Amino acid sequence: MAGAGGGGNDVQWCFSQVKGAIDDDVAEADIISTVEFNHSGELLATGDKGGRVVIFQQELESKNQPQCRGEYNVYSTFQSHEPEFDYLKSLEIEEKINKIRWLPQKNAAQFLLSTNDKTIKLWKISERDKRPEGYNLKEEDGRYRDPTTVTTLRVPVFHPMDLMVEASPRRVFANAHTYHINSISVNSDCETYLSADDLRINLWNLEITDRSFNIVDIKPANMEELTEVITAAEFHPNQCNTFVYSSSKGTIRLCDMRASALCDQHSKLFEEPEDPSNRSFFSEIISSISDVKFSHSGRYMMTRDYLTVKIWDLNMESRPVETYQVHEYLRSKLCSLYENDCIFDKFECCWNGNDSVVMTGSYNNFFRMFDRGYRQDVTLEASRESSKPRSVLKPRKVCTGGKRKKDEISVDSLDFNKKILHTAWHPQDNIIAVATTNNLYIFQDRL
Amino acid sequence: MRYMVGRGVKRKLSDCEDQMLDLPYPQQRQLVLNLCLDKLQSCQRRAEPSLHRSVLLANTLRQIQQEMRQEGGPPAPATPHHSPDLPPVPSDRPSTPVAALSSSLLCEDDVQSTCTELPKGPGSEDGGKSQDLLFGSFEITNSTSYLTDLQLDDIFEDIDTSMYDPSDFSVLACPPPRGSSGASLGNDYNLKAFSTSSSTLQMCLNDLDHIMEILVRS
Repeated sequence: MAGAGGGGNDVQWCFSQVKGAIDDDVAEADIISTVEFNHSGELLATGDKGGRVVIFQQELESKNQPQCRGEYNVYSTFQSHEPEFDYLKSLEIEEKINKIRWLPQKNAAQFLLSTNDKTIKLWKISERDKRPEGYNLKEEDGRYRDPTTVTTLRVPVFHPMDLMVEASPRRVFANAHTYHINSISVNSDCETYLSADDLRINLWNLEITDRSFNIVDIKPANMEELTEVITAAEFHPNQCNTFVYSSSKGTIRLCDMRASALCDQHSKLFEEPEDPSNRSFFSEIISSISDVKFSHSGRYMMTRDYLTVKIWDLNMESRPVETYQVHEYLRSKLCSLYENDCIFDKFECCWNGNDSVVMTGSYNNFFRMFDRGYRQDVTLEASRESSKPRSVLKPRKVCTGGKRKKDEISVDSLDFNKKILHTAWHPQDNIIAVATTNNLYIFQDRL
Repeated sequence: MRYMVGRGVKRKLSDCEDQMLDLPYPQQRQLVLNLCLDKLQSCQRRAEPSLHRSVLLANTLRQIQQEMRQEGGPPAPATPHHSPDLPPVPSDRPSTPVAALSSSLLCEDDVQSTCTELPKGPGSEDGGKSQDLLFGSFEITNSTSYLTDLQLDDIFEDIDTSMYDPSDFSVLACPPPRGSSGASLGNDYNLKAFSTSSSTLQMCLNDLDHIMEILVRS
């Protein structure tokens, strides 16, 4: 059975691993809230509602099994954010990790930014596999020796020790956001990054924590006039002066920081005119963009709204160049989805390494891939049932009406509690990480 | 909450859709309006109100209001003014969706009867409270202790205390007793003692610095 593939061939996706607890009773703190590969794909980070970050590292391919890619195993776990209490407003500030973004690797250590609603932190993850022994002035336990007993000079020597992975917070970027942070994005200059909340976007220097520059502010003077919020923002992958931000009204604005210090005036505005035949009470809600991602090439960007994924050419503002229906069968169910709040779910999307395939999640633990070149799409499921090692995933199909065929699932049987909001694609290989509520599935193409 | 999230209970689509499709358009609209008000209310009552969601709901509400107004249908919903004591005054257009919170109560064709009396809440008892209050409560203030975010010495170095006017502080960091081995800057209770003078602030911060050094080296 063919699956949508990267690279043009019929890729067959196989189960590789699943991380997380098996039982159905999900602890709130274990709910995965973000998933991100680093720039080489060797590391895979997840953040959860409890404020923890877990980093998995891919094992080196073993010479014995050249057909298998390395497995991802736990490399480091740390508590990134703690719950805080705002005393003035008697409100809790959630420790949930909203986003993780890796910095490109510069030296032996790895760096990532993690953020909750209010505070961004820069974490350094470093390895230690050697320990100095034989200090001249100190005992092994660290106590200083009595100077009178020191009669010879000796220089400490490094001895190997069990690998220790340490995560330490190197910077805390706090108190710059009045509203909930929804995005962070590292600039291609590797010196600055942006953070976006509902109404403002700030620019930071990675070295400086007590100052940030406000580059977008859409807060109206009179809050009564507020009708639109910022939903996502990202720097261009190559042009360090360019970034985009999306809104709850389905628009994307591209801004050039060279034009002015405050980028309230956009350089480009991407907006598709509404299809009048699809108009409903919920049109605006479903047009709200939940994620925006540049292609690796920087020529295109992808947006996700409730029912579709759209690919935009940066040179054309009037409409997207491609539109993919994620779960169009839900259009006639919008009232129910509004009633049970599912209509407000924020799905993310991602590109594969060569920008030929895009992926996004749906309900019932389904996720969808769209092959742009071959105009194929496939629906796959992340479930324990299809988690035998290297078993090939069977494409799934939702029956939209009429007679339900064997193996199809009807719309009314879909489980709307099981949503895949976060997915990530390895930067080079066909390895994907798909997060269900509290489990992380890793799938690979069959080699 | 009507639906259990993440508890292994399958959440299906309700038959809202079937009910809705049977109704004529004005009643469909009323159903959505009622749901909207319901959600706006519960949104406000939550510990973590979402500005994004509130804006979407308010826009939907406004859109329905405008439509109803254009049709010149039921008596125009009232717009209570900002003073909470004035009775609702009929006018042509409710100016804010929050005003509509109370105004929709006066809407006659209340088919679903779910739009009943709103319980007293910040958004409803004073119908004149502006959207400012609807959206104004989302700000996370800077009041949370800046200093409790700090965990390590090099982060601590980033603080330029010259920009803080100590008289603005009502809650300041105060170091635990020197030599207390259990001292941990992560412990909120140690840091929430009161102090009001600038010299004390400086002393507190110097002591903190010293404590950090001890902790890091031990």
